[in-house]
Amino acid sequence: MEDGGVSSVFINYEHDSHIYPVTVEYRDDRFYITYDNNEYTILATELSPGQLKLQLGDRIIKCVISERQDSKFVFIDGEVFQVSRIELTGKKKAEKKAGDLNSPISGTVVNVKVKPGDAVTKGDVLMVIEAMKMEYLIRAPITGTVAKVHFKEKDQIEIGQLTAELREKEA
Amino acid sequence: MFKKVLVANRGEIAVRVMKACQEMGIRTVAVYSEVDKRSPHVGLADESINLGDPTPSESYLNIKKIIEAAQSVGAEAIHPGYGFLAENPDFAQACADSGIVFIGPSARVIKLMGDKIAAKTMMQKAGVPVIPGYHGACQDVDSLVKEGVRIGFPLLVKASAGGGGKGMRVVTHENELPQAIESAKRESQSAFGNDSVFLEQYLDKPRHIEFQILGDDQGHVIHLFERECSIQRRHQKIIEETPSPLLTPALRETMGKAAVAAAQAAKYTNAGTVEFMVDGNLRYYFMEMNTRLQVEHPITEATTGIDLVKWQLRIASGMELGLKQNALSQRGHALECRIYAEDPANGFLPSIGTLKKVQLPHGPNIRNDTGVESDFHVSPYYDPMLAKLIVSSENRPESIDKMIWALSHYVVLGVTTNIPFLKQVLDHEQFRRGNITTHFINDYFKDWLATKRSLPLDAILALAVYDALHPQREEVVRYKEIDPHSPWRYTGRWRMGV
Repeated sequence: MEDGGVSSVFINYEHDSHIYPVTVEYRDDRFYITYDNNEYTILATELSPGQLKLQLGDRIIKCVISERQDSKFVFIDGEVFQVSRIELTGKKKAEKKAGDLNSPISGTVVNVKVKPGDAVTKGDVLMVIEAMKMEYLIRAPITGTVAKVHFKEKDQIEIGQLTAELREKEA
Repeated sequence: MFKKVLVANRGEIAVRVMKACQEMGIRTVAVYSEVDKRSPHVGLADESINLGDPTPSESYLNIKKIIEAAQSVGAEAIHPGYGFLAENPDFAQACADSGIVFIGPSARVIKLMGDKIAAKTMMQKAGVPVIPGYHGACQDVDSLVKEGVRIGFPLLVKASAGGGGKGMRVVTHENELPQAIESAKRESQSAFGNDSVFLEQYLDKPRHIEFQILGDDQGHVIHLFERECSIQRRHQKIIEETPSPLLTPALRETMGKAAVAAAQAAKYTNAGTVEFMVDGNLRYYFMEMNTRLQVEHPITEATTGIDLVKWQLRIASGMELGLKQNALSQRGHALECRIYAEDPANGFLPSIGTLKKVQLPHGPNIRNDTGVESDFHVSPYYDPMLAKLIVSSENRPESIDKMIWALSHYVVLGVTTNIPFLKQVLDHEQFRRGNITTHFINDYFKDWLATKRSLPLDAILALAVYDALHPQREEVVRYKEIDPHSPWRYTGRWRMGV
């Protein structure tokens, strides 16, 4: 590298709602990684695309990494971690989809047990969704009244879609 | 022997069958649906035919299309694999009517064994023990509830035409029974086109132990010992092994004879499996006969040295079963794990997505039966089993250790798999001791969550190195300004370091 040709990258990794800020610098055939106030000096070989062998002191770290648009998968010691990179501007995390009324699976609605206005008790089956020949039951998370039913029999439903809406029983 | 065989299936089993054919010099024909166009089974076959629409009923379950495909390429025989049309008597009959050999038992036997009620009645007559239950023709919910109450709880509701846990419910209280019956009937109707169910006493400490059978057209029937398949989730097997840690040589012999008797009673031909339940007091009961090659057949192959698919082909072509019962023996111990794209921490829901990377473990006595590869898309149309991993060793403890090693080196990136779960099951003290029942997963892993680990330091370092090696577009521009030869601009294989 040319003199002064040193550059560092700042990366924020997100895994399971935790942020891991890292600085990585490459010079003199080595990677200098700063994380959590420690600096690690690493020699690395990419054996084949995504297949890394790192040497940290006398320790060898082997892993496999692959990526898709929004995230990376790291296979290390028999475990897989899904990690995404987030921008320093600190984008807010996507809001968690609320409630138990979202479909757990993409499939076909095979049975709708309720209609708007029906009174339901917590645990009642509202809808039956079939995927891969198995049935999944959507149960009422609360006692109340059915406000809306978003699907009818034979409809296709995608994972995460809201099946129905309930109004909580007023005291 | 046949010159050309069509394999009416997909995934690992289609691949496995085609390899046996190719070893025997038989040309292979694949069928595939639109989404499987680039699947390994299509790539492996000598010829392939597009069935179109991925909906099973329009592709792998479409008898007319498959028969036409076989005729169009002049295939003399069809191997159905397992699942799909493998146990459909109409398909076996349609093959026979079209002058095509169905590689499996006759339509008559499939029909007989597919009717779980008729099969049990027949076995009872043949002197094979069966579980107390209701296998009657009254199928209205009220009558079934009445019969269920008579048998007592816990009670099993099972689809008469069922298999693979589909259309099956365990009921512990009378008030849950009507809903369970309705739901089992619906699931059964949709999966098998038949909504008959039966009820059965639910056994204490039940184990699922099955015997592999081979029978030929000349009337010879042998068994190739047992497979212990008690480790199940949602009534589907995930880990199988042989020999079973439960069976004594005496019990093995008795059950083997019962299995042969069961197959002979049905005039069974080709490969099949007699399933038994064995309770805590070592009492065994006939459950059903699977009239096909089983998913878990490789563990039998590993311990007996017999290639079951080749024997299926030989028997179907009219050859005599050259194997003698007393010449067969089990050697060592074999284990199989089913690798599923599913999330064990979330009710084993299937995980749909693209396999970004698949790397299989290799080593002595490790067998990979797989029908997927990197960039394969796991679609919601079919069963989410990706592959099977089979290992064998001198004994059970060594097999377990080998399997754990192999799973630890099994890379599947892009979808959630059950690999971490399988490892923990294998490493469980009770599993290692052989204390397993069909309740094992429910007893010990009911609310299993993948050990929530924060991102380990090694992973952080590896990611940082990876991102440095593979900079994003805007970073490439930056580094270019610094040094056009910089390794930041990754172009291919290169080394750095000492």
